[in-house]
Amino acid sequence: MDIQNISSKKVLSLVLFLIITQLSFAQKVVRYDLYVKDTLVNYAGKVKRAIAVNGQIPMPTLTFTQGDTAEIYVHNELKESTSLHWHGVFLPNQEDGVPYLTQMPIEPGTTHQYRFPVIQNGTHWYHSHSGLQEQIGMYGSMIFKKKQNDPTFRRGIDDLPTVPVILSEWTNINPDNVHRILHNANDWFAIKKGATQSYAEAIREKHFNTKLKNEWKRMLAMDVSDVYYEKVMMNGTTNEQLTQFKAGDKIRLQISNGGASTYFWLTYAGGKITVVANDGNDVEPVEVDRLLIAVSETYDIILTIPENRISYELLATSEDRTQSASLYLGEGIRQLSDRLPRLKYFEGMKMMNGMMKMNGDLDDMGMKMSLNQMDMNVVMYPEITGDKKSSASGHRSHTGHGENQYNANALSDIVTLNYAMLKSPENTSLSPDAAVKELRFELTGNMNRYVWSIDNKVVSEADKILIKKGETVRIILYNNSMMRHPMHLHGHDFRVLNGQGDYAPLKNVIDIMPMETDTLEFAANVEGDWFFHCHILYHMMSGMGRIFTYENQSPNPLIPDPKYAQRKLFADDRMFHFMAQNDFATNGNDGSVMLQNTRWSIGTEWRLGYNSMHGYETETHIGRYLNRMQWLMVFVGFDWRYRKMGIDEHEKNIFGQQNKKDSRSAVSLGFMYTLPMLVNFQAEVYHDGIVRLSLMREDIPVSKRLRAGFMLNTDKEYMVELNYIFNRFMRARTHYDSDMGFGVGLALNY
Amino acid sequence: MKSINILIAVLLLCTSTITAQIRNAATATVKIYGNCEICENTIEKAGNIKKQASVNWDKDSKLATVIFDSTITSSDDILKRIAIAGYDSDVYLAPDKSYASLPDCCRYERVNKTASHQSMKPGESHSVHTKGESPLQQVNPLYKVFEEYFAVKDALVKADESTASAKAKDLDAAVNSIKMSALAENEHEVFMKVMKDISFDAEHIGDTKDVGHQRDHFTSLSKNIYELLKITKFKVTVYYQHCPMFNNGKGANWLSKENTIKNPYYGAQMLTCGKTVETIQQ
Repeated sequence: MDIQNISSKKVLSLVLFLIITQLSFAQKVVRYDLYVKDTLVNYAGKVKRAIAVNGQIPMPTLTFTQGDTAEIYVHNELKESTSLHWHGVFLPNQEDGVPYLTQMPIEPGTTHQYRFPVIQNGTHWYHSHSGLQEQIGMYGSMIFKKKQNDPTFRRGIDDLPTVPVILSEWTNINPDNVHRILHNANDWFAIKKGATQSYAEAIREKHFNTKLKNEWKRMLAMDVSDVYYEKVMMNGTTNEQLTQFKAGDKIRLQISNGGASTYFWLTYAGGKITVVANDGNDVEPVEVDRLLIAVSETYDIILTIPENRISYELLATSEDRTQSASLYLGEGIRQLSDRLPRLKYFEGMKMMNGMMKMNGDLDDMGMKMSLNQMDMNVVMYPEITGDKKSSASGHRSHTGHGENQYNANALSDIVTLNYAMLKSPENTSLSPDAAVKELRFELTGNMNRYVWSIDNKVVSEADKILIKKGETVRIILYNNSMMRHPMHLHGHDFRVLNGQGDYAPLKNVIDIMPMETDTLEFAANVEGDWFFHCHILYHMMSGMGRIFTYENQSPNPLIPDPKYAQRKLFADDRMFHFMAQNDFATNGNDGSVMLQNTRWSIGTEWRLGYNSMHGYETETHIGRYLNRMQWLMVFVGFDWRYRKMGIDEHEKNIFGQQNKKDSRSAVSLGFMYTLPMLVNFQAEVYHDGIVRLSLMREDIPVSKRLRAGFMLNTDKEYMVELNYIFNRFMRARTHYDSDMGFGVGLALNY
Repeated sequence: MKSINILIAVLLLCTSTITAQIRNAATATVKIYGNCEICENTIEKAGNIKKQASVNWDKDSKLATVIFDSTITSSDDILKRIAIAGYDSDVYLAPDKSYASLPDCCRYERVNKTASHQSMKPGESHSVHTKGESPLQQVNPLYKVFEEYFAVKDALVKADESTASAKAKDLDAAVNSIKMSALAENEHEVFMKVMKDISFDAEHIGDTKDVGHQRDHFTSLSKNIYELLKITKFKVTVYYQHCPMFNNGKGANWLSKENTIKNPYYGAQMLTCGKTVETIQQ
C-alpha cells in the first residue's frame, strides 16, 4: 500500500510537473522592443528622410513560434504619431494596429504595447498603418514557426533552411508629394518610365488609331502601376548574396511584398520555383517558372542550387519592368536571370480600347475572368506574345479569339503561377450549418482624377458593414476599374473559391485584375472593427475600402471617443490636394490654383496682362463631380475682370449679347462635361443673363515631353498653346491668346 | 613653336574634359568575353553611363579598362549591365536569352560557363578523352584529305592565294591517291559520290591566283568535305561554321578544327564574322 501510495504520489507530481512545463512552454512570452526614429538615407543619389526602426530599414524580422505570446513595445521617437499593423495575423481587434479604428495613434514620445497570443504559423509581415509611413521604411518580416510536433509539419519543406525576404521600393519624392502628384493627373511618372504613350510614339509604332480611339474613349495613357520608383529592394538592398549554400541545397525563401504600390515578378536563374505557402498558409507544392507577387502578399518558395562555383540570381522585377533587385544564392560567378523585356504599351492600350465601353464600364466580352488565370496584360508581355515587330497577331491567329487568348500558360512554355493552381493540403471548408451572408462589391475608380472606391463610395461615404459572429461571410468581388487591386482583409483568412473544392486555399490578400470576378468566404469569428481595403497605399489613402464590424460587439477600450476617431479616420480620403501653376510669359501671367478631393474641386484661374488694354481677369469655380467616371461637374463661378476698351468698342458674343463695361464682376452657374477626346465642354450662365460656352483641352501628349492645348469660347476668345516639360516643376510654354496676343514664357507648376 | 603650344593646349583641354566627365574616378581592368567589333560596340554601350562610367574594351586581349565614379557605382555594376547585354565576365554570366540573341558573329565561346559545368563532371569529360585516343593509332587514308583541306582553309583565312593554290593541288593529289579498298563501306559510298566534285574544286583553286575565285570554289568544296567528314571518325572535334554574308547573303559554310571563328571567305576584312552551326565530335 505504502509503496503504491508513494508511486501514485510520484506519478501525480510528475503529471503536475508535465502540465506546468507544458503551460510554461505554451505561455512563453517573446518580447521585442521597437524604437521608431527619423533617419536620413541615400538610396538613389539623394539624401532623403526615412523612418528606421532599431536603426534599420527594413524593420527587424520578428520571429515567434506558434503558441508563444507576442509582446511588442513600440517606442515612438518620431515627431509624428505612428502605429504598427500585423499583416495577416489573427489577434484581438485592439491589437490590429489601425489608428483611429482599433486604437488611437501612438503619439510622439510615448510607448505602446501590443500583446497577443500567436495562434497560427507562416510567413507574415508588419508595417505602419499611419499615413504613408510604410513607403519610407516601416515594413518588416514577421515569421511564425511551426512547432516541432505540429501534425502539419512537412518533411522536406518545413525543415529546410529559411531566409526571410521583404520586397520594397524607394522614391526620392516625398510620399505626400507622390500622393498629391497622382491626384493631379500629372504625368511626370510616365515621363520617367518612358510610358507617356504620346501621339508621336503611337505613330512611330503604327498605333495612331489605337491612341485616337483611346482618347475618344476618354482614357489617359495607362500603365500597370502608377508611381515611378528609383529603386526596388530585397531586404533593403538591390544586391544581396547568400554564400552559405552549396550545390544541391534547397532553400526556402519567405517572401513578403512590403512595397507600397509595386507588384514584383520573381524569376530564378537556377531553374524552377516551387511554391509551398501563400499568405502564411501552406499550399500543395507547385512548380512554376515565375510568379507575380501582389502588393502585401507573402509566398514561401523553394529554390535549388544546381551547381557549385556558380551563384544563381533570384530576380525581383517591378511590374512596370523599370527596376529590379537581385539575390544571389550560392558562391562563385553570378549567373544572371533572363531580364523581362519592356512592356508593349500600345498593345495594352489596344486591349483596353476593346474592353472599354463608351460609358466607362468594362466589357469582358463574355469571358468569365477570375483568379489571374486569364491575364489581359499578356498582350503587353513580349516574352509571352512575341516582341513588337512580330506582334501578338501571329499568336492570336493560332489561338483564335477563344479563351486562351489571354492565358499566359497556354500561349507559351513559361509557367506563370495563378490562384487556380493553389491548393490547401488541409480541408478548409467552413461549417455547413453556419448562416451565409453574401456581399457583392464592385471595385470602381477612375484614373483621370485618381479616385478609387468600392461601389463608387469611398470609406468616409459608406456605412460600416455589419456581420454576425458565427456566420459565414461570402464576398463576390468584381473589378470594374481599369487597375488591378490587391484587396486585403484584416484579422481573418478567407477561402478563395478556386475550383479546389474543400481544399480551397486560405489567403488574406487577393489580387483582382480588371474585369475579374472572385468569390471569397470566411468564418466571422473575432469581434471588432476590421478593415477590408486595397493594399496599394495610395489607393487606400484615397478611400478604397470598407470596415466590417460585428453586431452588438463590446466597445473597444482603446477608442475612448468613437465619433472623434471616426472623423479622423475619414479625414484620410476627404483630404484636399493642392496644385498651382503660373506661366510667366512675355504677354502676361496665366495661372491657376486648385484644391480637389474625391468629389469637390475649388479652383481659381487668372490671366493678368501687363497693361489695362490687355486686361486682368480671374475666374473661380467651386464644383462637385457627379457621376462615377466623374465626367460631369456642376459648379458655381465668380468672375471678375477689368479691361480698358476704346470708345464705342463693345464685346459682343456669338449670341449677340453685349458687354459694355470695362470692369465686370459676375456670378455664374454652370457645368463642365468631359467629351470624347478628353475635351472639356463648359457651359455657364451669369447673373446678368450672359451665356458662355467653351471647349478646351490641356495636355494633349504630342511627344514624350511636348504637350499641346487649346481653348475657344462663345465670347469669340481663343487660345492655343504648346508646352515642353523640363522637369516636375518647370515647362517652357508658348501660346497665342486672342486677348493678349502671342507670348513665350516659363511655366512653373506645383 | 606657336603651333606646338596650341597643340599642347588642345591636348590639355581634351584630357581635362575626359577626366572632368567622371568625378571621383577609379579605374579597373576587367576581362569581358567577346569576339568582334560589334561586340566591342555593344559592350561599351552597355557599360557607359554619362558622368558615371566609361568602358574601353579591346577585342584581342578581351580586356576592358573601366573608369567610374567610385562614389556612385562600381565595376560590378558595370559588368552586370554588360552581362545583361549578353557578355560574360569573371563576375557575371550573361542571362541565357541575352547570349542567344547576340548576332551570329558575336557568339563567343562561353569559357566561364563551360568551365564551371566541366568542373562539375570531371569524370565524364575525362572518359570521353580516353575513348577518343584509340582510333588515332590506325590512320584513316581520308585524314590526309582533311588535313589538306584545313591547310587550304587556313591559307584563305590569310587571303594567301598562292599557298591556297599549292595546298589545293596537294588536296587534289590526296583525293586521287585514295585506295577505295582501304575505306569502310559507308565511307566508300560517300566518297564515290563526292570525290569528283572535290577534285574539280581543288583543281580550280589550284589553277588560279584570284582569291575571290578560290573562295567561290571553296563553298562547294567545304560542303562536300563536310559530307565526307561527317561519316568518318576524324581524330579531333571539328566545327562546321557558317558565314551568313558570303555569296550575296546566301551564306557559305566551312570546317575548322577550332571553335573560334576565323572566316576564310572574308579573312581580315571580317575575320570573326560567323558562327558554329554544328560540332562534329570525334
